[in-house]
Amino acid sequence: MTAATLVHVVVSGLATGSIYALMALALVIVYNATRTLNFAQGEMLMVSAFVGWTAYRALGLPLAAAAVVAVAASAALAFVVERTIIRRSIAATHWDVLIITLGLSLVLRAGAGIVWSHDEFPFPSFFGTRPVALGPVRLAPVSLGILGASLALMAALYALFTWTRLGRAMRAVAQSQTAARLMGISVERVYAASWVLAAVVGAVAGVLVAPVVFLSTKMGLVVISGFTAAVLGGFGSMPGAVLGGMLLGVIENLAPLYLPSGIRHAVPFLVLIGILVVRPAGLVGRVRQRKV
Amino acid sequence: MRRRAGLAALAAAALAWPWLAPRYFVFLASLVLVNAIVAIGLNLLSGYTHQLSFGHAGFLAIGAYTAALLTLHVTALPLPLTVLLAGLLTAAVGVALGVPCLRLEGLYLTMATLAFGFVVTEAILNLDALTRGADGLRVPPAPLGPWRLASDTARYYAVLAAAALLVAGAVNVTRMRVGRAFLAIRDSEVAAHASGVPVAAYKTLAFALSAFYTGVAGGLFAFVVGYLSPDAFDVFLSVDFVVMIILGGLGSVPGSILGAAVVTVLHDALAAFQNYRPLIFGAILIACMLFMPGGIASAARALARR
Repeated sequence: MTAATLVHVVVSGLATGSIYALMALALVIVYNATRTLNFAQGEMLMVSAFVGWTAYRALGLPLAAAAVVAVAASAALAFVVERTIIRRSIAATHWDVLIITLGLSLVLRAGAGIVWSHDEFPFPSFFGTRPVALGPVRLAPVSLGILGASLALMAALYALFTWTRLGRAMRAVAQSQTAARLMGISVERVYAASWVLAAVVGAVAGVLVAPVVFLSTKMGLVVISGFTAAVLGGFGSMPGAVLGGMLLGVIENLAPLYLPSGIRHAVPFLVLIGILVVRPAGLVGRVRQRKV
Repeated sequence: MRRRAGLAALAAAALAWPWLAPRYFVFLASLVLVNAIVAIGLNLLSGYTHQLSFGHAGFLAIGAYTAALLTLHVTALPLPLTVLLAGLLTAAVGVALGVPCLRLEGLYLTMATLAFGFVVTEAILNLDALTRGADGLRVPPAPLGPWRLASDTARYYAVLAAAALLVAGAVNVTRMRVGRAFLAIRDSEVAAHASGVPVAAYKTLAFALSAFYTGVAGGLFAFVVGYLSPDAFDVFLSVDFVVMIILGGLGSVPGSILGAAVVTVLHDALAAFQNYRPLIFGAILIACMLFMPGGIASAARALARR
């Protein structure tokens, strides 16, 4: 295998990985605020991609406008779900919310199947198909586009969490809900904001990945790769989520070169089991001391 | 006294079922019983020790393929032995998964079991020399002494006998020291530990027991349906099992059976509306968590108390 092929594989791995990283960030944003996992995050991504596609095909909107519609629909869906279902169970345990979001993922998937059918649809891409040549290395514009757009979104998230009032409130709630409430932060509003923000990040990931994997109700399963990425980096850590996602993407793309090709689909799961067994706190995470 | 009379009536109805119901409903009843065994097994793990598993379809697959391959390659191995071996092998896999999972809590454990389920189906697909991969595996009728269980009725009685034994076993386990230890772990691991409950040993035991039940159910499942393919054991089957125990009631053996019956019959009744099935099951999950957190079992208890 030449160095050029290797670079090509690694770059497309980073592109896949940045999708996983966005998914992981979405999960971590909700987790940090509410200490629960939104199992339906993947299905919400899928529904918003379908809404965007409908806006593009049926309403004839330009692609960029359709993408905005997808993101807005995702944010609206998250807001409604948080208000009507999750908020009602605010006193419930993580276990209850996990099961509720599991139910939600079944409902969304089935609902999408009824509205749009379970077929696969081609999704228009923002990027051309002519490979970009960098010396001897030829790179797919899709990979570079996904990578660039994801990195831009990550930078925006970094800015949000570092410099804005909302971002600081979200970090405060992540550290201690009681203390945050005592400081006058509306924890409920942070919950809602976290759900909406996570949905926006998820929807962007959905619009970016749909041209590559085709649009279908199966897309929601990306939540598992996102979770794996988040665990790989240390669940709860945002830089960890990005690192874990990139790493997982590269591993997934490199594995079939060295191992039997049938293993490719099992890679995220094997990595997940491996990392949980060896180092449950993730690569950069610390083992949290439990208080009684 | 009333309780005993109720149980006797239930037993009589179960025994007479093949004479009362058309052939297809005998098959369906076998399926209900198989699922009830899985639900009890899952409940021992999730309901009693609060370790939610999304991987029980994987355990079921291991049990089913073990029983099928044993019957194919070891002729004249009697059914009880086949099923017992399937259960024991699955329990061994359960311990192998459970021991590293001891360090994991809540979410992490759930996701590890989810990943386990995917790995099992991928393994079945890739070990096609043994399992015939995606083509599927035809299971011959189970031998039992000089007979072969070739009819739905014969299979129903075999499953009924196994289910009766396992239900009695589960009821006893949950009332014994072990069951109380499980409940103590569910309520607070730290408190259980402080009271002298060996938490790690009991959590491993819960995993082993749960996998054993599911493995036995898998063995029986193989003979009941007569044909195995990896796509029958996907993650949605694991989710169905979770729906059964949430609907029936966490930590309740009768609830598990009831939940399994409702979900299995609904599954079958909605066969023509496949697209709507997950919609209904998902709505059941959400509604249960919001309005009936203890499932049917605790709702019935509350009604009886009134």
